Amino acid sequence: MASEDRSGNRAPEIKEEAAAASAGAGFGDLEDPRFQCCVCLELLYKPIVIACGHMSCFWCVHHAMHNAQESHCAICRRPYNHFPSICPLLHHLLVKLEPVEYKKREKEVLELEKFMDAYSPQNIEFLNSKGNNYENGKDGDNKLEDGNTGFPGEVSVDDNTMNECSKKVKLEDVSCPLCKELLYQPAVLNCGHGDEALKCQVCGGLHPGSYPNVCLDLDHFLEEYFPAEHESRRKKLQSEITQCNPEGSSSGTSCSKDEMDKVSKGVTYGQKNLDLSNVHAGVGCDSCGVYPIRGERYKCKDCTEAIGFDLCGECYNTRSKLPGRFNQQHTSDHRMELDNSSLYDAFLRFQGIPGEGLHQLIVEEAFIGPGGMLHIIGDDHEMEYSDEEEEE
Amino acid sequence: MVDVSRVQKELTECNRDSDVSGVSIALHDGGSTITHLTGTIAGPLDTPYQGGIFRIDIRLPGGYPFEPPKMQFITKVWHPNISSQNGAICLDILKDQWSPALTLKTALLSLQALLSTPAPDDPQDAVVAQQYLRDKSTFVNTARYWTEAYAKSDSTGMEEKVQKLVEMGFPEDMVRSALKSVNGDENMALEKLCSG
Repeated sequence: MASEDRSGNRAPEIKEEAAAASAGAGFGDLEDPRFQCCVCLELLYKPIVIACGHMSCFWCVHHAMHNAQESHCAICRRPYNHFPSICPLLHHLLVKLEPVEYKKREKEVLELEKFMDAYSPQNIEFLNSKGNNYENGKDGDNKLEDGNTGFPGEVSVDDNTMNECSKKVKLEDVSCPLCKELLYQPAVLNCGHGDEALKCQVCGGLHPGSYPNVCLDLDHFLEEYFPAEHESRRKKLQSEITQCNPEGSSSGTSCSKDEMDKVSKGVTYGQKNLDLSNVHAGVGCDSCGVYPIRGERYKCKDCTEAIGFDLCGECYNTRSKLPGRFNQQHTSDHRMELDNSSLYDAFLRFQGIPGEGLHQLIVEEAFIGPGGMLHIIGDDHEMEYSDEEEEE
Repeated sequence: MVDVSRVQKELTECNRDSDVSGVSIALHDGGSTITHLTGTIAGPLDTPYQGGIFRIDIRLPGGYPFEPPKMQFITKVWHPNISSQNGAICLDILKDQWSPALTLKTALLSLQALLSTPAPDDPQDAVVAQQYLRDKSTFVNTARYWTEAYAKSDSTGMEEKVQKLVEMGFPEDMVRSALKSVNGDENMALEKLCSG
C-alpha cells in the first residue's frame, strides 16, 4: 500500500480511508489516535510540538501553559518556557490525511476564537514548492516581513494552493527541508520547523534550550506510511547517528537524565523562579515565544488586536522580524514602547491594594495553585484578560 | 468555561469498558449539568474494599481540563488517604500534579489504585493512618466492615432500609426502585420519594 501512496498520481486506487487506516494502528472512529490531541481529545488542530516531542493543539498548549511560571508538558511533565509555533509540516499533513475532520475542527476553533476575540495564525503556508531548496525558504521569510502573518513552512509540497486537496500524504510532504529525504526521527524546533540544528535553517529562528526530542508519534506514523524509505534511512543513518548525535536522536520522548533528576526531586515544581516581581504574567514574547516574559517587556502601541504584540528585551534588541505568535498584523514600522510594569503591579493598581500584602498572597498562591495554574484573574483566558487590564 | 465536548467524550470513553476497568461516570443524580458528575469504582480485589462499590462526587471547575477535577468520596470509606468524616481525598494528581492529559477515567483509576496501595506517610485521615501503621489487622477489619456497611448496596442493610422507608408510608415497589436508582443511599432515596 505504501508503494501506491508514493506513486501519488496513480490515484484511483485504494480508498482513502483504507490508506489512512493502514497508517494507524488502532483507528478509533475517524482518526489516527496518534494525531489525537491529549488535551481536547479531538483531532490535532494547528499542531504544536513541544521540545520533548509531544504534540498538542495551538490553543491547548497556550491554555495549558502557566502564566507566571515554568510550564510542564502535559504528558511527560518536562519543563519548558517557550510557546512554540505551529508546526506547518504536521498541519499540512493533517489537512491531507483528515480533510473532513480537520475542516470541522477549523470551523469549531474559529467560532471559539471569535468568542475569545483572539486568533491563532490564520495562514500556515508551505513556502517551498516542489524542488525548491533552502534559499527559497529565505525568500519566504522576506515575504513575511511584508506583513504576511502566516508562518514560514519548509517542506516542499507539490502545489502551494493544494487544489488537488488530495488526502494522501506524499513523500515530499514529509521530507526533510535540508537533505530532501524522508524525515527520519524528526524533531521540531520552537519555531515549528522540523530540523536538526538549533538555529532553524528554514526561518533562522533560534531554538532556546536544549536539543529537542524526536517527535515519536510523527516518526512512527512515517515508519508505517513509508516503510521502505524509513528502513533505508534508518540503515543509512544508523552509524552516523551514534557518532555525531548519540543523545538527541536516541533519547526519544524521555527526559534527559538531568531533567529527570530535577523532576523527581521536585526541584522544578513550584519551587523555582519564585521571584515573581519581574514577571509579566500572562504576557508572552511574540518572537521567541518565551511565556511569561521576565524583565524588560516591549509592547506594541499600534497593534489593535486584543491579544497585543509583545517582545522580550532580548528579541527587541536583536530587532527580531518574526511574525506574531497569534494573528497580529504587526509590521516593523509599528512603534514599540518599554513596559516595565509587571502584571502584579498593574493588578495592584487596578485593585487599589497596597503593594506588599498582595505580593505575598500571590507568591503563596503560586505555591498551592492546582496543576501549576495560577488564577489571579479567574478566567480561562488569562492572556487576553491580563492584556486588557494592563491597557487600563 | 468547561470544555463540554471533551467531557462528553470522556464519559463515552470511560463507560465503554466499565465492565473491565471497574470505573464508570454518570451525571450526578441523573441531573443535566455536565459539571457535576458521580463516579463509581469497584473495590480492588484482595483488599478490604473488595466487593464494594464506591461512589465519588466529581465537580468540574471552570478551568477543566487545565485545572484538576474536584473529587470526594460519597461512600464512606476507611482509608489513610481518605477522610472518614467527609470523604476528602489526598492524592497528588488531584492537586499540584494534575495534567490536562489526564482524564476523569485515569483519575478514578488512580483512586482505585490508591485503595489498593495506601500511603500512610502522607495521610488525609490521621486516625486511620495511625491505625494502619500500628495495628494493621484492626485496620483491615475496620475497612472491611465499612465496605460491608456502606459500599454494598445489595447487602442485608438493603432490607432494613426498605423496611424503614416502607414504614414511613411509601409503597414497597417505589422504595425499591428509588433505592436502586441511587445505589442504596437511604437519604437520597427518601429525597427522591418525597419529590415524587
